[in-house]
Amino acid sequence: MITTLIRRELLDNLMTFRFAAAVFIMLLLVVANSAVLIKDYERRLAAYNTALKTERQQLQERKTYSSGALDVARPPNPLSIFNVGLDKRLGNEIWISYAFVPTLWDARMRGTTNPLLNLFSSIDIVFIFEVVLSLIALIFAYDAIAGERERGTLRLVLTHPVRRGHILLAKYISAMTCLLVPLLMSLLLAAILLTISTAISLSIGDLLRIGGIILSSIVYLSLFYFIGMLISAVTRRTGTALMLAMFVWGFWVLVYPNVILAAIAPPQTSQERMVSTYDEIKQIWDEFDRERKHFLANDAAPGEDPHFGMVGEGPHFGITGGSGFNYAYFYKRPSTLEYFYLAGSNIRKLTEASKPQVPHAQNYYRYLGPKTINTAERAWLVRKQALETIFVQPAIVDRILLRCSPVGMYDAATQAWAGTDLHGLRDFFQAARRYRRTLIDYYYDKNVFASQQWFSADKGAVDWDSLPQFSFHRSDVKINAARALPDLLLLLMMNLFLFIVIFLAFQRSEV
Amino acid sequence: MIWHIAKREIYDNLNSLRFALATVLLLGLMLANAVVHLREHPVRMQKYHDAVTESLNRLGSRTNLYDIAQRGPGYLYKKPSSLHFCADGGDPFLSDQVNGGFYAWATDDLRGFWQLHYRPATHNSRNIRPDTIIVDWGFVIGYVLSLIAILFTFDSISGEREHGTLRLMLANSIPRHTVLIGKFLGALVSISVPFTLAVLMNLLVVSTSSDVQLGTEAWSRLGIVFFIALLYMCLFLALGLLVSSRVRRSAASLVILLLTWVTFVAFMPSTLASIASGFSTPMTYDEFHERRQQLNIELRDEYDTRLQEARKHPAKRRALAGEYVTKDATARERLSQKFLDQQHAQIQLGRSVTRISPVAIVQYLLEVFAGTGFERHQQFVENVQRYAREYREFVTDMDKADPESLHIIGVREGMSQKPVNPEAVPKFEDTLSLSRDFNAAAIDLLLLALFFVVLLSGAYMVFVRVEV
Repeated sequence: MITTLIRRELLDNLMTFRFAAAVFIMLLLVVANSAVLIKDYERRLAAYNTALKTERQQLQERKTYSSGALDVARPPNPLSIFNVGLDKRLGNEIWISYAFVPTLWDARMRGTTNPLLNLFSSIDIVFIFEVVLSLIALIFAYDAIAGERERGTLRLVLTHPVRRGHILLAKYISAMTCLLVPLLMSLLLAAILLTISTAISLSIGDLLRIGGIILSSIVYLSLFYFIGMLISAVTRRTGTALMLAMFVWGFWVLVYPNVILAAIAPPQTSQERMVSTYDEIKQIWDEFDRERKHFLANDAAPGEDPHFGMVGEGPHFGITGGSGFNYAYFYKRPSTLEYFYLAGSNIRKLTEASKPQVPHAQNYYRYLGPKTINTAERAWLVRKQALETIFVQPAIVDRILLRCSPVGMYDAATQAWAGTDLHGLRDFFQAARRYRRTLIDYYYDKNVFASQQWFSADKGAVDWDSLPQFSFHRSDVKINAARALPDLLLLLMMNLFLFIVIFLAFQRSEV
Repeated sequence: MIWHIAKREIYDNLNSLRFALATVLLLGLMLANAVVHLREHPVRMQKYHDAVTESLNRLGSRTNLYDIAQRGPGYLYKKPSSLHFCADGGDPFLSDQVNGGFYAWATDDLRGFWQLHYRPATHNSRNIRPDTIIVDWGFVIGYVLSLIAILFTFDSISGEREHGTLRLMLANSIPRHTVLIGKFLGALVSISVPFTLAVLMNLLVVSTSSDVQLGTEAWSRLGIVFFIALLYMCLFLALGLLVSSRVRRSAASLVILLLTWVTFVAFMPSTLASIASGFSTPMTYDEFHERRQQLNIELRDEYDTRLQEARKHPAKRRALAGEYVTKDATARERLSQKFLDQQHAQIQLGRSVTRISPVAIVQYLLEVFAGTGFERHQQFVENVQRYAREYREFVTDMDKADPESLHIIGVREGMSQKPVNPEAVPKFEDTLSLSRDFNAAAIDLLLLALFFVVLLSGAYMVFVRVEV
């Protein structure tokens, strides 16, 4: 019996105008936007490759360890085509130095074309699904029960010995089958476009992640179908049902996600916290500075100058040119709680007069290097906590608020699958921090701080190629799945809940 | 007769569920908008005033003409609009300052001259909060009001046809256009009521605060914005009537309308803009950087040796140095100007293509009248450039006025040594003019009106030919 019901519903739905319109709109939007998104991804990938090249060049220009400007670049995520998340927004290049612990707030943006292009909001595939799929699901659902009741066919069907639950199930299954057609067709076309592009190569893991995104989309779709069905079950007339469904849609999709964050004031306490933490970090470095000065004062060649008056041979033009430069300064940026001391020299060949200073400098840097690293670690402990409470926590609260709407849940789930959520992005910076540690270990191993190569290249330039290389792999699919699971489960639970409510409402309703 | 039909429509609507929902939705949104504006606007204004004061103080502390000429006016800031709540206009992505300063130079005794640096806004790269659309009037009008307009008209003809009342009505000797106009007016009035109410509530909340002062010009701008909103709403009402008269069933009519709405309102602007801007390729930042280096090297090659040779002849060297410095500043500024112009041209291209969608037109109109957004940004840049000319003219004039000066702009010894009254130095003021904005908006207004006329006459044509 249930198969007959399903077949009837299926044929009913497939013949409708709305089915054709839904397929057409979805294909149009997804194909047009995929083309744009793929092009954009290719551009970002090209920028990433250039960044890698220039980073190498810059590094090779530096001849000493202390002056090494070691940058690592973040590759763009190919799945950002599905849900861009934070992938395009956060900085994509970070400086790795022994003197400070890198975080996402210290990253720079590289390879942007026209910053004004942000004026046009970017549309990714999940956004299209968010808006259009939910709308289509409601359009399919609004007359599922109310329509039959209006036409009187519901009474007719119920004269047969069918269970009401079966009717609901049949309607659900057939409508979902129909709705899957535009969803899968548009995804298929997007996938074809993806494979045509030479720049994008998807691994098995990526395909599984896309599978996860599709799964989330289906659950999201079904949730909106249930919402529509519920409205249809409790209203008498289709006109009212449709109207109500559209207002519900407008509220959840259009209004709620945008209003909630604006309406809830961001916490104001953070400013004081910022200042106090910054002072705390500054104190740690002040202490470091005192000890450093103390060391210099008690040195065999006492003085204030950390460079011991060493200069390179050759003509000088201010700070550049000639055969080298020195610097020693405190890097300060209160807005991201960055504060650290950096000293370095890039001297190719020392003048004869500077040569006697070399042992002093070596002695000093042997002391300074590990000291800087220790202080940086201490400051990091303070900074890490402050960054968590000041920046991360409000962002997490925002995301929780957004999750009150199905759109927010769906968005969070797909971002987690794609790896463009906050977790996914922080993975990269975690890797950058790990890389910094391996680099420091390598420095200790080679006893770099005490070597002359730390500040001058008289004994040969640094061989940057023998340094440990940075590599970043996106997290495993399992981890993506684990991150997406809470939202996915939430969506599923809402599905189940709504189904039960509809079932009860329909059982008790008069036909 | 028209009025009868309209009145009937209005009564019908006033009792309906959609009227109640629309009122609640509009009121809620407008109130949220007002509250957010009250919270954020004073902070924005304070920031602007602090920055301007600091910049002016620095400028006022200089009395030497060479210092004035070399260091430049410093940071120039864009004045935030008091009508920011009308349209946000993507202001966070637009830089609110232009730096008119010098930068350190690498020659022994020469110092670079000031020039305009156009820094892009770097607002978002550290922000990890989720992205949202800002709820301004532009959002409420562009998205919500148009959706409501559709929801009010989708069944106005097809619904009556379904119930059979249309036939009844036309059995009386009422011309069809009267019916159509009556329906149109009825819907217009019934949406205007909650919308006007919401706007008034919004303005009431906004104007009660002492922090936000709206002058007469602001009020006239708000009036214009209100009429634009009505015109835009009429456009969607006409679209609703058009589809409603053409399609037999009201459900089908709503489906068509909604899908049209989604395509034109939610997706068309950004998709088209992205596609169109792909056709223009402005220089990237790396290219710009490279060309600037190139420029640096070229000029250095040209002058370095000549300056070295002229070391023995101070007068000749001064003249050369002055030439070098001014040439360098002009060339750099021209380059960054070109860079900016190319970026603007790309955006302009994207924007002109998106005018196919009425929501984009209305966004642009609101931006123009609210004094935010891209047009405003261009106006700000123009103001800055005009000021830069004034400033340079001032320096030359002051120098010319001193008979003792050697009239070599670019080196300290070549310029007038007389102290300058800091009061006399021109100050930058960012201005807005309503008439200029009106001119900029004329084309968009015309387009919007044209859209409306086409759709309404389309609805008329379809309705006249339709079988009841």
